[in-house]
Amino acid sequence: MYLEVTNLCVDLGEFKLDNINLAIEKGEYLVLIGPTGSGKSVLLETITGFYSPESGEVKLNGKLLNNLPPEKRNISIVYQDNILFPHMNVYENIAYGIKKDFNKEEIDQKVTDIAIKLKIDHLLHRNIATLSGGEAQRTSLARALIVKPKIVLMDEPFSALDISTQAKLTTLIKEVASSYNTTFLHVTHNFNDIWNLATKVGVMKGGKIHQWGTIEEVFSRPENSFVADFVGVQNIFKGKIIEINKDAAEIELNKNLVITSSDKQCLKKIYPEDKTFDEINFDSNVLIAIRPESIIFSNEKFQSSARNQLKGTIKGFIESGPNYWVKVDVNGFEFIGLLTKSSAEILELKKGNEIYLSFKSLNVNMIDEYHSFNKEIH
Amino acid sequence: MRSKFELGFIIITILITSMFFLVIGSMFLIPSYEGFINALLSENMIYAITLTIYTSIISAAIVMIFAIPTAYALNRYNFPLKSLFKVVLDLPIALPEIVVGIALLMFLGSNGIGEYLENIGIVLVFNSLGIIIAQFFIAFPYATRIMYSTFAYIDPRYEFVSRSLGYSESSTFFNITLPLAKGGIITTSIIALARCIGTFASVLFVGGGILMKTETLSVSMYLHLSTGDIDLAITAGILLVIISIITIVIMEKYAESTQESF
Repeated sequence: MYLEVTNLCVDLGEFKLDNINLAIEKGEYLVLIGPTGSGKSVLLETITGFYSPESGEVKLNGKLLNNLPPEKRNISIVYQDNILFPHMNVYENIAYGIKKDFNKEEIDQKVTDIAIKLKIDHLLHRNIATLSGGEAQRTSLARALIVKPKIVLMDEPFSALDISTQAKLTTLIKEVASSYNTTFLHVTHNFNDIWNLATKVGVMKGGKIHQWGTIEEVFSRPENSFVADFVGVQNIFKGKIIEINKDAAEIELNKNLVITSSDKQCLKKIYPEDKTFDEINFDSNVLIAIRPESIIFSNEKFQSSARNQLKGTIKGFIESGPNYWVKVDVNGFEFIGLLTKSSAEILELKKGNEIYLSFKSLNVNMIDEYHSFNKEIH
Repeated sequence: MRSKFELGFIIITILITSMFFLVIGSMFLIPSYEGFINALLSENMIYAITLTIYTSIISAAIVMIFAIPTAYALNRYNFPLKSLFKVVLDLPIALPEIVVGIALLMFLGSNGIGEYLENIGIVLVFNSLGIIIAQFFIAFPYATRIMYSTFAYIDPRYEFVSRSLGYSESSTFFNITLPLAKGGIITTSIIALARCIGTFASVLFVGGGILMKTETLSVSMYLHLSTGDIDLAITAGILLVIISIITIVIMEKYAESTQESF
């Protein structure tokens, strides 16, 4: 692993980081998402060396950084409000990190090269107060990259920018990330940053990283109800495993409603390959999560292989751009599905109508952490 | 059309300001022109002006040299008894100046460390050194307070960024923090200088108020008032008012220009 954060605890009095574990490979782009106040910035500033951890380790390329001052770590940071030095112009800001190591010609060459790459070469002698938000952020990125950092930490870099500037800067960062083979750790509360940039994603709240992994892992296999809720899995139900084998589990939500899940990863955890049924010991209380887009609707009973076929009553719609969120009551449980407006028209959906829902057992995630997160169930 | 409320507040402001203007301005009307010039050019007054300016410049410089690191430490670092240190440093602002003067005299005089110092040839009271020490004690808490606010206003992330770009704490302080605090440093220096120039009670006690020896402008005003030499007293007063006006104008001008540039 390139950047390794192990059991990191930080106590700033009003704010704490609680047992953070994280690992990033060289060249990866990890986006850490979480609500405001979840400790994302504190984590970045601890990795950079501005805060000392109570316990735990930060390693970069195998080297322990804990006792190394920030100036010896070669980790750059880019803030949402760019933090350009107000007493320096664009050129001086970019050159700041290398002016102690190179002569004037070399500095000129390096500043010009990075400025061309980030499309700010025409701004070099401008006062930073005259820059637009996007220009200032590109300058800030140039200042961070010119020192050839081992890793760039991005603290909500787009949140002060308008949407079109965000899009342009995203494209630019993507190009830079691949051409410089730089490793990025980017914190945000905007999901678009994940879709646009991330090779890996982490979810953070209350000073804790609740889950991190590939986008697919986190979004389709949330490990707890907070992650599930936060990443947009809206159908989260409490149930009891009434039957289990190595391929599937039957989860009873109530007497009239049983859902089948083939969540392989969770099943493996509960029912390991090398154990027999008598040997396993598990808590039958689980949470299940079904992403709204995994649910298929029909006016008639399905003739499909999907193992979960339910009948319910439409309770309402919420318009969301080109889509509708459709709320359906199934035996007292509210399921939420996502339909395009044209599909909704074809199905002639109306409030109070009966409708069939179908979803594959593979798309039913089981979360066997019910006890630690049951307070968050709604 | 102004509301009665607005009008009422404006009238109060005009009345009070006029009162201040009249009281301070009336001092300029008291001496005759000749009396003023004679007093201004008298050996006594020239000595007082020179002594005041040179002791104040030295004190203000020493104040700044110590106020900058003290204010920075209080603002940026956590250390044991920090809150107590802040209270102790703020105390002279709340205390009557005469208390600071007596305390200094007791400490530096023969009741305190004076006797030991005298044995090694150092005398800190009833001379220019005493004046500088008294001015330092009066101006330092003000300077530390203003510098504290200046550093509090500078986002520490500027320093974080500088350090992440390879600069040590001290290089970052000189490259980033001090240039960003420039406005505050200039304002604080002017205020410190003004405080040193205007210091009276503590300078009188520690300096001893000796004519032509430890006679600063404010002490001169007091000494000549008590001997009935009104022209000299008022001239010293007028000079203090002029110095204060110049100080305030420079401060206002600088405040405007720094606001524009940042």
